[in-house]
Amino acid sequence: MSRLHALGFLALAALLVAVPLTADNEYELRLFMLFLIYGLIAVGLNVLVGLTGLVSLGQAGVFALGSYAGAILAVRLGADLITASLGAAAIAAIFGVALAYPTVRVRGVYLAVVTIAFGIIVENVAIEWSALTGGTTGLSGIPTPNVFGYELSGYGFYGVLAATLLLATLAAHNLKDSRYGRAMLAVSQSEIAARSLGIDATAMRILAFVAAAVTAGVAGAFYSFLNAYISPDIFTFSDSVRFLLMVILGGAATTFGPVLGAFVLTYLPEYLQDFQLWQKFAYGALLLTVMFVLPRGVLGTAGFVLKRLRPPARGLSAADMEMARVGLPAAARGATAELVTQGLTVRFGGLTALSAANLRVKGGEIHALIGPNGAGKSTFVNAISGVYQPSEGAFGIDGEDLTGKRQHQIARLGLSRTFQNTELFGDLTVLENVLVGGQSRLSYGLADALLRTPRRRREERDLRAAAVGLLAFVDLTDHAKEAARHLPFGLQRRLEIARALAARPRLLLLDEPAAGLTTQEIGSLADMIRKVAAAGVSVLLIEHHVDLIMAVADTVTVLDYGQVIASDRPGVVQNDPRVIEAYFGSPVAHGDFAEVPA
Amino acid sequence: MTTILQYTLSGLAIGGVYALVALGFHIMWSTAKAVNFAHGDTLMIGAVLAVMGVDAGMPVWLACGLSILAGGAFGVALERIAVRPFTAEANSIGWMLSTIAIGIMAESLATMQFGGFSRALHSPGVDRPLNVFGAGVYAQELLIPAVAVALTLGLGLMQKRTLIGRAMRAVAHDKRAAALMGVNVGRIVAISFGLSALLGAGAGVLVAPVIQASATMGVLLGLKGFAVAIIGGITSAPGVLVAGLLFGVLEKFVEGYISTAAREIVAFSVMIAVLLVFPQGLFGKRETVKV
Repeated sequence: MSRLHALGFLALAALLVAVPLTADNEYELRLFMLFLIYGLIAVGLNVLVGLTGLVSLGQAGVFALGSYAGAILAVRLGADLITASLGAAAIAAIFGVALAYPTVRVRGVYLAVVTIAFGIIVENVAIEWSALTGGTTGLSGIPTPNVFGYELSGYGFYGVLAATLLLATLAAHNLKDSRYGRAMLAVSQSEIAARSLGIDATAMRILAFVAAAVTAGVAGAFYSFLNAYISPDIFTFSDSVRFLLMVILGGAATTFGPVLGAFVLTYLPEYLQDFQLWQKFAYGALLLTVMFVLPRGVLGTAGFVLKRLRPPARGLSAADMEMARVGLPAAARGATAELVTQGLTVRFGGLTALSAANLRVKGGEIHALIGPNGAGKSTFVNAISGVYQPSEGAFGIDGEDLTGKRQHQIARLGLSRTFQNTELFGDLTVLENVLVGGQSRLSYGLADALLRTPRRRREERDLRAAAVGLLAFVDLTDHAKEAARHLPFGLQRRLEIARALAARPRLLLLDEPAAGLTTQEIGSLADMIRKVAAAGVSVLLIEHHVDLIMAVADTVTVLDYGQVIASDRPGVVQNDPRVIEAYFGSPVAHGDFAEVPA
Repeated sequence: MTTILQYTLSGLAIGGVYALVALGFHIMWSTAKAVNFAHGDTLMIGAVLAVMGVDAGMPVWLACGLSILAGGAFGVALERIAVRPFTAEANSIGWMLSTIAIGIMAESLATMQFGGFSRALHSPGVDRPLNVFGAGVYAQELLIPAVAVALTLGLGLMQKRTLIGRAMRAVAHDKRAAALMGVNVGRIVAISFGLSALLGAGAGVLVAPVIQASATMGVLLGLKGFAVAIIGGITSAPGVLVAGLLFGVLEKFVEGYISTAAREIVAFSVMIAVLLVFPQGLFGKRETVKV
């Protein structure tokens, strides 16, 4: 944990201890306890909004679920605070998973509308199912909170709330700072690249939704105990907007931002009461002002300004450079890998983009795949990396069938790829990009991440050493701490190769790696590809650049109209009449150029 | 039988309102890939201003005309202030929250001017109920779906035949290419927001005699309009129209046979269910990913 964050946690803890000692009356303390509850919701919502980039405008619905679950358990079954909270958390978690399910199909605004719909459905189920919820009159008579039979005093309940918020903030911080947080950020910036590195994007989104739901659920149970009465009109769409605004105002993806945002938006309505009729208007105006003046939120902007004033070093520290000597690691699984495709066919509607392609990349070789525009090269790449499902045919590595597997599963089985139009995680640093590349090899679990166990520390340290080594291999150590999107184009291409290598692939798939590079850069790219192959990684190179292919390829396969028309050594393919015809047209039509060697 | 006919006709009326609101979402989304989350408040502005105009002694037609124009102006201004500054960003949080903010402000202003209670607009369309095979409906209720159908057809014609309509389609297809062809993209987006706001305010004026006009009427109608747009497939105007009418009828039946709360539960559950099965809506076009 950085020193700044440690200080922040100390300050938060000090504040939480000081407030009850200085509170003048019960109303003041009660308001502060309301803030603690909202803070809990915001901290969880930040995992969803800040890290995973998904907007939920239905958080009040989850909050309501938790409230009703807690209240019903307490009133009807006499559950204590702990049982009621756990019950609320469990029910909220189930709905968190259910809410995550639509993200498989829809994102962005559509998802926002799904969450809005969810909130409205919960509100109306609470009205309709009056036997359980008390309908519009609500549930009253929620007992004072007690734990294991001991009744909690006002201060005791305060202690529970304060400790929960502090621990939740700490857990969220640890989550962000682990393989899970990194994976969430990666998924939010380029899902396709994250999947190509073995990250299960769906699992990450489910985790984020569950984190947001569990905290909101527990907060709901606490709320019902604090208020002793709940009714459907407490959980409306505008509350969902307020919860989201807490995260944005404080600073999405920051550790303390949501807590700060919750604090401001708990106390602000108290002050806005002076405006009387204008209260709601002022609230809307404030929301608009935040979006214009502080789109990154208070702490996000503060961090940005701090970076401007004291720019951190762009390169690596001396201690890190020590690790750079690792360099390019040998291939992960000893023996070199062979990729075989049999009759691979991809159809889009009536169009056959790839027709019964048979191709064999021998272990440890550099195999180039070429063909005119529209020949089906990209389709081939996307089919064997799992982006498209082949309509017919099969493919596999070393006899292991990969057909029908999903993108991240194929990646975990040893196939890494780069992209024609680079797909970096733009806002992550160069080093973080490579860390994401290597993280499907990590084995520590969620509990290790949340508790920062020694195992987590050890694995993260090893991952970092490997990543620094790869940065040294592609000569990017001087840029390690820069945001990836600020890199010049040529360096972005190299970073993508380092990131793909970090997954320790058996087969590296390079999709037009030389496009847009200078002659000099292509020269060093050729060296790099040779070194990768020498380390035992098979390379499939999709390229237009003839010089590069002639310089590095062991075998060249030519595609035209979705079919393999030649596959042999470069020199042979270069003189193949069918290849020449594919590129330059039929010799009959251009009589002058008919001297094609047969 | 009469009950079924009654529910169908009333359902078509409210469905026509949803269709008009959803048509606005369709127009905005097509050109800007962003929408006005306060679009329901455009409807509210149309309804509330019309009632206030009549209060001030204007004839109904003038009050309605002026309030529709005011709604259109609101749409154009909102696009300029709250949408355009944020459309360059990759995620949609920016314009979602900024348009919600404008909606909150509009609603608060309306509450102050109009008061916190609901009032109906007096229109000749609701003077006396007509008897249609035993079901009692107002002429106004029959008018709404007819207007929705006519405007959808008109929109289709405009998009095919007029220069502005073609420019709108070009912008919807590829903003940059349209700009290179000399289309003023900013102006086309502003026009599309204005046009959708005219439809929204028009829906407000049409529905104000049937349901009560109030400062808070916009939120739920707006959300349902958006739900309808998504169900129909936000890229398809006829799809949105059909979905809107069906949605209204479905709602009336659930409301009639069960309850108002059940109406909201069923309506929004249907939306989620449709999205899960048809992510691009019932009549929308699927967008393919390319890497």
